[in-house]
Order: sequence, then structure tokens, then C-alpha cells
Amino acid sequence: MHEITLLVQLVKMVEREAKANSLANNIDSIVVQVGQLSEIVPKYLTDYYSNVVDGTLLSGSKLMIETIPGNGLCHHCEKVFRIVKHKGKCPICQADDWEMLSGQEFILKEIRIRED
Amino acid sequence: MSEFKIIEIKRSIFEDNDQDAEQLRQELKSSQTFLLNLMSSPGSGKTTTLMRTIEALHNEIKIGIMEADIDSAVDAVTIASTGTKVIQLHTGGMCHLDADMTRQGILEMGVEDVELAILENVGNLVCPAEFDTGAVKNAMILSVPEGDDKPLKYPLMFSICDVLLINKVDVLPYFDFDLEKCKEYVKKINSNIQIIPISSKTGEGMDKWFDWLREQVVNWNQF
Repeated sequence: MHEITLLVQLVKMVEREAKANSLANNIDSIVVQVGQLSEIVPKYLTDYYSNVVDGTLLSGSKLMIETIPGNGLCHHCEKVFRIVKHKGKCPICQADDWEMLSGQEFILKEIRIRED
Repeated sequence: MSEFKIIEIKRSIFEDNDQDAEQLRQELKSSQTFLLNLMSSPGSGKTTTLMRTIEALHNEIKIGIMEADIDSAVDAVTIASTGTKVIQLHTGGMCHLDADMTRQGILEMGVEDVELAILENVGNLVCPAEFDTGAVKNAMILSVPEGDDKPLKYPLMFSICDVLLINKVDVLPYFDFDLEKCKEYVKKINSNIQIIPISSKTGEGMDKWFDWLREQVVNWNQF
């Protein structure tokens, strides 16, 4: 659904970086990081990528996706745990009083340029 | 095998919209307009709540409403019947509004004479939560028939709001909606959120909502 909107934003961001770094049309791939709890579906990013970048400076490039785990900090025992794996409950003390440290990101990590 | 040069960016894709939203908030500060982003599922009672709000506050505060829908002008026509300034934004299929679209609405409506602007966002608990519209505060409505477990199913929406109106409390006797449990679920995700149970049909509980709005408008113009 809005994965396409996000991809359009991503292309705009890369275009701005390309201008700032004087990059030519030799982008091999880009790496994005998607938070596990961001409600963004990585499969849809991959499925729509080539359509969205067609005709732009990212045409023909690959999209690589890294997942950022959803980590919670337990307010009870102050341990960090994986929110999804432990279904929102601290595995050490079983409390469900925690704050999210990571997991909602959508980050452009890097642009990889072919140097032939 | 080609060599690669790696250019590190490490910036959020939402950054652009975030900056745009911050810029819009500064512009709203200059025009002394408090903008509220009102979100919910379709049918929860946003428009009815706005009608009650206009009725209660229109003599004290200059109000402007921006209606956002995929299509039609149903809500804008309803609001216009009160004589309040209102415009209809058509998102053309987009499931949410971002700062740029909000600014277009602000420009079209004109806010020099508007103290309280309310953006009635697209009825959707998923996408609107992800995009900062440039509003000063976010509010959402959850209605009793939708169920008390929605905070568990749509955590992002509940986590980004400053106020939660639990609407249609007049029909609590007819639904298995545990009000205290719902409040508990919400507070776990967002301990600072203010929860106000209301009925936009009967008017029950709405004074607290009107007072909150009054306070926000005063604070926005003061600091």
C-alpha cells in the first residue's frame, strides 16, 4: 500500500544525495534498514522496487534490505530483549512494562557505486 | 568483479517529511494557528465529534476544518452547514496525509483568521500514524463497537497520539468493551496520553475535550 509512497520518497532522497555527491548513473545498489515493528512489509518494497525506480537514476539497481530488530528495555529488571520473539514480555522477569529502543526505523543506510 | 564505492547515508526516509512538518509548525506559530490532526477508523465519529466541538467553541475560538477523504465531499458539506470555514482535500487514493499535502490545505483554506484548525485525516489506523502532518498535536478516536483490543493491534497509532477519545460510550451496555482494560492497554504503549471517554451523540464527557482544546489554543499562542 504505502510501500510505493515510501519507495518514491527513497528515490527522491537518493537523487538529492547523488546531486550532493556528484554521482553519475552508476548506482549498483542501495541498502535500506527496515525496523521489525515498522509495519513496512519488506516483500512489497522488493516487489515494487523496479517499477518505482524505472526511468530514474536507480534504474537497474538492486534493493538490499536489512532488518532492524525490535528491542525493548524492561522497566522492571532493566534488561534488553527481543519484543517480537518474546511476544512483548520480558523473558527474564516476565514483566510487560517496557519501552521500545528500536524497531520502527526506515533508513537509507548506504548507496553502492560501481567503480569499473 | 567490479569494485564498489560505498557512500554512507544512515538517514531516515521520513526525515524529509519530518523537516517539512517542523517547518510547517513554525509557520503556524507565526499565524498563531493551533493545528490538530484528528485520526481514527472510518465510522468512529470524527465528523460528529467535530460538529459538537464547533457547537461548543465557535463563539470563543475561530475554527477552520480541513476534511481529507479519498473521494466525495460528504463531510465538508456537513461541517459547512454550521457556517464554519471548511475545505475538502481529496487524496486521490493516498491512504494518509503528509506535511506537504497538509500545507496545501492550509494555504487553500487560509489561516490568518483561524485560531484552531482541525485536520480530519483519512479514516485509517495504519498509514496516518507514520507521517507527521505538521500538526501541533495528534488526537484519535476509538469507538466502543470497534473493540477494546485495538491498542494491541495498532500500537503505532496509539503511541503517537496526545489524546484518545473513546467514543460511543452510550452503547457500552450493548458491547463487550472493557473500558478499564482498554485504558490499560493504551497506557502501556503511551503513558502520557490523555484518555477521554465521550459520546458525541449524547454529549456525555465532552466538556473535558473542549477544555483540552481551549488550553492548547491558549498555550500555542502564548509560548
